[in-house]
Amino acid sequence: MADSTYPLPGSLETTPKRWSQAAVLEWLNSWVITVDHKKLGILYMLYSIFFLLVGGAEAIALRIQLFHPNLHIISPEVFNRLFTMHGTTMVFLVGMTYIFGFANYLIPLMIGARDMAFPRLNALSFWLTFFGGILLYYSFIGGGGLYGAGNAPDTMWWAYAPLTERAFSPGHAPDYWALSLIVTGFGTIGASVNVIATALCMRCKGMTLMRLPLLVWLNVVTSGLALITITPLTAAQVMLLIDRYFGGHFFDTQAGGSAVVWAHFFWIFGHPEVYVLVLPAFAIANEVIPVFSRKAIFGYPAMVSASVAIAFVSLGVWAHHMFTIGMSSAGNAFFVLSTELVGIPTGIKIFNWLATMWGGKIRFATPMLFCTAFVVQFLLAGLTGIMLSVAPWNWQLHSSYFVIAHFHYVLVGAIVFCIFGGIYYWYPKVTGRMLSEKLGKWHFWLFVSGFHVTFDTMHIPGLMGMPRSIYTYEANRGWGTLNMIVSIGGIIQAIAVLIFAVNLIWSYFKGKVAGNDPWDAWTLEWAIPSPPPVYNFATDPVVTSRRPLWDIKHPEDPDWKYE
Amino acid sequence: MEAHEHSNPSSPHGETIHLPAPTAWPIVLAFGVTLVFAGVVTSGVISILGGVLAISGCIGWFRQVLPHEAHEDVPVEAQEVTIASTRTHVTQIEISEEHRAHLPVETYPVLSGIKGGIAGGIAMIFPALLYGILSHHSIWYPVNLLGGAGVANWTNPTTADIAAFHPQALIIATVIHIATSVLVGLLYGAMLPMLPRHPIVLGGLIAPLLWTGLLHSSLGIVNPVLDERISWGWFVVSQVAFGIVAGLVVMRQGKIRTGQSMPFVLRMGIEASGIHSEGEDRH
Repeated sequence: MADSTYPLPGSLETTPKRWSQAAVLEWLNSWVITVDHKKLGILYMLYSIFFLLVGGAEAIALRIQLFHPNLHIISPEVFNRLFTMHGTTMVFLVGMTYIFGFANYLIPLMIGARDMAFPRLNALSFWLTFFGGILLYYSFIGGGGLYGAGNAPDTMWWAYAPLTERAFSPGHAPDYWALSLIVTGFGTIGASVNVIATALCMRCKGMTLMRLPLLVWLNVVTSGLALITITPLTAAQVMLLIDRYFGGHFFDTQAGGSAVVWAHFFWIFGHPEVYVLVLPAFAIANEVIPVFSRKAIFGYPAMVSASVAIAFVSLGVWAHHMFTIGMSSAGNAFFVLSTELVGIPTGIKIFNWLATMWGGKIRFATPMLFCTAFVVQFLLAGLTGIMLSVAPWNWQLHSSYFVIAHFHYVLVGAIVFCIFGGIYYWYPKVTGRMLSEKLGKWHFWLFVSGFHVTFDTMHIPGLMGMPRSIYTYEANRGWGTLNMIVSIGGIIQAIAVLIFAVNLIWSYFKGKVAGNDPWDAWTLEWAIPSPPPVYNFATDPVVTSRRPLWDIKHPEDPDWKYE
Repeated sequence: MEAHEHSNPSSPHGETIHLPAPTAWPIVLAFGVTLVFAGVVTSGVISILGGVLAISGCIGWFRQVLPHEAHEDVPVEAQEVTIASTRTHVTQIEISEEHRAHLPVETYPVLSGIKGGIAGGIAMIFPALLYGILSHHSIWYPVNLLGGAGVANWTNPTTADIAAFHPQALIIATVIHIATSVLVGLLYGAMLPMLPRHPIVLGGLIAPLLWTGLLHSSLGIVNPVLDERISWGWFVVSQVAFGIVAGLVVMRQGKIRTGQSMPFVLRMGIEASGIHSEGEDRH
């Protein structure tokens, strides 16, 4: 805005930059009615980050309650609600939405398209997810009000039967859980259809399937997996509602129903869900690691095959969550072996990331720091996963803090680290400004320290027999100091995330101008201005290799010679 | 260093691009659907309101796309974008011949590992029995150490108990010994293509030492009673006996050519006229 006034020290600004009410409303309206994939991608990401903060705050409340033996800072009922909401929020409102945030923003840009295949369906999918989340959190103020945490779900994020039946859960807590996730599930289905259709049908000239950026490939695999796995969850939730409202007996064990059926339905969704969440994290690492190693990704076809193999194998491992429920020896053996089979394609990926870094000129900018930590942590998470896949080991440690430590190693150590890495990497493209490297380094080192203080330590009380989901514990169990360390690590992580939030806001206004290609990268999104124009590409791009910008930057040694 | 630069091809400045028109109907439909479900836990009126909104959303949406999709024309603004890298020097990773992986064009067959395992298993019986005779005047002592887990009524056996004959322990020890010898032999055979040179050094010295080290560090946890009674010196001797005999048997089996020595088309199983030259060695 042009301004001829001269700001005198100590004086008030005489011409403050103020948006008129109409301009603000118009701006808001443009976001509400948008069908632009970039705006919807940003909305998904903001939604995901917001709920990351909410879910994180719930985790901190839980850790404060467990800081010391015999604490009663919150009531047992509120504790149950908080850990249920923490799990549900992190999986469904953070994990599932970051996927579509990155996918929405990046896929059309990476494949040289102007938008997603179905822009209006895209908007519908986001708003369904948005309102589903609102409905879930409305449960806190529905019913008994905030002090008693209302009707917030309190049956853990997997809502095992028969605890969810009316006899054991009167009121509406399980209903809010089921209904809100049915709504967000519709959103997931719409978004998944859109991702697959876009990647298969909207590619620019020359963008063959084997030239697709790996991020796009992995999001296609993820979306296919989500389409398959959301269905049994939604079916089970509808069956649960029939039990609760129409006198059905699907899961009512006292009337001939089966609680085990619920467990099967839930984990047929629940375990592939882990891969639905982690494959897009791999997708981010697949883009970041080569650029910061200054090398093409090692073993592109193997990476694609491994991703498809992970998705395929993950559909046959669900009952490793049910070893302690009881199965036949053949069932145990099958699910032990099928679970261990996942180690092969994931091992291929880890070797390929290492091979990509090997011999490269590695730059440890903040995105690369997060992705490097991810590789190490995901490997460790995989190792404890293999341990838990062994049925006798699982019988000992199921429902202990060892399991909590294992899956937080996956969900935080792999997924959240990659989310942060991805945000640092693409924030310049989205906003036109760089995130502060200094704050980014503070964020990384605090977060990685807090992560290891919390989750490395958390394995030990698990091995010592501390069950998950307990409200408090006796001092003589020997878990006190360990829990204190775990809680302190959680607080360190919270401080790191606050620094990240400050960085996001500060850099938006004061960050260094990024230019179109601040990382000297190779995929198509870096060939257009930052932020991109609404139409993305003024002219349709044509690509001849997996790294189209490399070909342009290095015409003497283009990739298409080798592919 | 000269930077290679490239600008986007001429942007169609002044032209417009058709993009889908923004619309509020998706959010109306989404809100309506959510209210339909929210009514289940609040009030039927909410569900009815949601239904009305959802139907309105659908109708509005259809009107957006039928008979023709609504779109807006966005003017193209020419923006000069430079695609360049300051890193103009491309370095190829050089791999010296020294570091090239050894291609196993010839290797020992996997079956030779199993044969070696069986022979090694027989060979290691002798130092084990010798140990029993020399230290406890009984050949059953090492047998019972191995198979004692199968004797259900043993809780804290004395040395005399372990030195006596127990048929159950003999059966269990025999099963364990045969199974382990064959499996270790199989593993040995499977590893040979990766390490085709010096099978006696590998099987006779390195593997027994590694295996003994692993057991020495973990046996106290896995089986504390056995850990107390085992003689590690004799254990190493019997393992080395196993390894050397297994290695010798493998050596005597001779090498076979692997698939690596065949042309790609043969490895793929392609059979067509003209792919084999006259003088080509067909396997």
